[in-house]
Amino acid sequence: MEPLLKVEHLSLDYEVGAGTFHALRDVSFEMMPGRVVGIVGETGCGKSTLGQAIPRLLPEPPARIREGRVVFQGTDLLSVPKWKMPLVRGTSIGMIFQEPINSLNPAYRVSDQLMEAVRIRKFRESGETEVFRPAEGFDYSKDRPVDPKEAIGRTFLPSPPAARSAGARRGSEELRIDALEYLRLVRINDPETILDLFPHELSGGMRQRIMIAMALSEKPTLLIADEPTSALDITIQAQVLTLMKELMDEVHTSILFISHDLGVIAEMADDIGVMYAGSIVEFGPVGEVFDRPAHPYTKALLKSVPNRYKEDGVLPSLPGSVPNLSRLPSGCPFHPRCVFARPPCEPDPGPSLEPVKGAPVGGGHRAACYYSDEVFRLP
Amino acid sequence: MVMFIAILSVLIVGVPFITGLFGTPVGILPHDPNELLPCAVPTECAAPPSLQNWFGTDNIGRDMFSRVLAALPLDLVIGFTVAGFALLVGTGLGLVAGFWDTPGTVGGTLSVAIMRVTDIFLAFPSLVLALAIAASLGRGTVPALIAIMVTWWPFYVRLVRGEVLAVKHLPYVAAARAAGVSGLQILVRHVLRNILEPLIVYYTMDVGTVIVTFSTISFIGIGVPPTIPEWGSMVESYEKLLLTAPWTVLAPGAAIFLTVLAFSLLGDGLRDILDPRSRRALVQTATAPGLPAVKGSAAEA
Repeated sequence: MEPLLKVEHLSLDYEVGAGTFHALRDVSFEMMPGRVVGIVGETGCGKSTLGQAIPRLLPEPPARIREGRVVFQGTDLLSVPKWKMPLVRGTSIGMIFQEPINSLNPAYRVSDQLMEAVRIRKFRESGETEVFRPAEGFDYSKDRPVDPKEAIGRTFLPSPPAARSAGARRGSEELRIDALEYLRLVRINDPETILDLFPHELSGGMRQRIMIAMALSEKPTLLIADEPTSALDITIQAQVLTLMKELMDEVHTSILFISHDLGVIAEMADDIGVMYAGSIVEFGPVGEVFDRPAHPYTKALLKSVPNRYKEDGVLPSLPGSVPNLSRLPSGCPFHPRCVFARPPCEPDPGPSLEPVKGAPVGGGHRAACYYSDEVFRLP
Repeated sequence: MVMFIAILSVLIVGVPFITGLFGTPVGILPHDPNELLPCAVPTECAAPPSLQNWFGTDNIGRDMFSRVLAALPLDLVIGFTVAGFALLVGTGLGLVAGFWDTPGTVGGTLSVAIMRVTDIFLAFPSLVLALAIAASLGRGTVPALIAIMVTWWPFYVRLVRGEVLAVKHLPYVAAARAAGVSGLQILVRHVLRNILEPLIVYYTMDVGTVIVTFSTISFIGIGVPPTIPEWGSMVESYEKLLLTAPWTVLAPGAAIFLTVLAFSLLGDGLRDILDPRSRRALVQTATAPGLPAVKGSAAEA
């Protein structure tokens, strides 16, 4: 089967006054349709950068993609002209951000924002506009700067001419019914009332669910969820996670789930990628990676998850912190904190992701460490 | 209370403005503003306020109340026109300069060009620049108008660009981008809509400032000719009567003061009405206080 998303050797820098930060270094992974891929790592390891680099939401500059490909349904998104990217976003690649507090426009009612998302999808489904089609890619022969007249006409007329002539009022009624449906889908009580409220009148959990409803109402093929539950308290977090799992079955979408919370990832993901200092150091099916990690960093990370009982004494924590991305240590970036580090680790940058020796063949368990088989065999 | 002040300032600003739209309200004035009322000594006609002449008369016997009122439409129209022109030009340029400011692109170059030209204008004190332009164009209402127009828009470019820069990095703009909304629509629907409040408030207060500036130009004597009643030129021409007939200076001066104050209060009121957060609160206090729980707090539960 053709992978839905294939990230190949993606390297991205932030060029700011203080220097160049290598936020992503040679990131490669694949995502099969219908799977949930989790990305975990410490703060500052490049998780969110990866999530935003895929639909190219990062402002360039300061971000600069040095090399690599992001192949989505057979099209390299990095070669798509920038002004065509809005056609990919929303309906093909949706996104949920981690800040529910500010992710809704304070000037509009919930209905306006939800209906905007539904309208975008309907407009694209109606075939009135050029859309992103799988594997076909965009027609680059017509790769020209936007004709300002055409651009103005296109962007100021959000609904197709047919719908407008049928009566804008009825059109918006239909959109409203659609919007209501998605509010019910995210289990919001009394959606008719909620639809007419302003974002500041809603709680954080409600706003986050509305964000999820907005993302889902465009029926994205791939949904990138960037710490969707981090800003929520634990009960709402559980609600939202349960909801997302249920929705996956209802809407059939693949999810790239970014989180620093190993428990959440264990709950949600099929495959897991562990990031450290801008690169993926281990990738594989979630059960296998959690049971028998093959990279020393994953092992240390899993050890630092609190147990249910107190008898274990002091919680083991990983000494040191994530290296400064503008001054990475020589060799393997993890060697200063690694208990398995040996002399070759310091000058040698280490291998890129390689299949772990001894792991089930075909499982796709890979790690970026010379001694991965040794770590893997440890109890 | 807030609503009361807002409504009051709408009346102060609105009613004369509407009458101004239908021509100089000579008909409703007690006297023709240029009519010389009879008096004993032709050069010393200045009479203190009385029942016949509410604001008194000036040295040649013209009714001050009529003159002050007759000047209102002119001053208001100038205030709205100049501030409106600046609002349109400044908002357009400011949106472009703030939204497409990525260095190295066409938009970035344009943005830098707009901001440097704006800086050049802002480097001059705007009143001095307006005076210089008005003086070089000759005496008259239109030259003074053009002079203020030319110097007024850079403030709006600054304001709008600053607001755009602040708003365009907020998460909801990123969320709209992620939802597939195109650039121009983000600019209009999400960015412009959210900077509209400070902009309208600034515009409203600015109308008063324009009137003061226009009056200043007239006061110096290069604006409106003395036959046309205008507050600034009135203050100037009656300056020498300040000690003998103070009402001739105080009446137009007070008119300027009250108008600017009214626009300031109107701006404050508009700010409260336009903000969805306080607007909902206003609506709720206006409707029955005994209603069951507020919608918003019901949603929180």
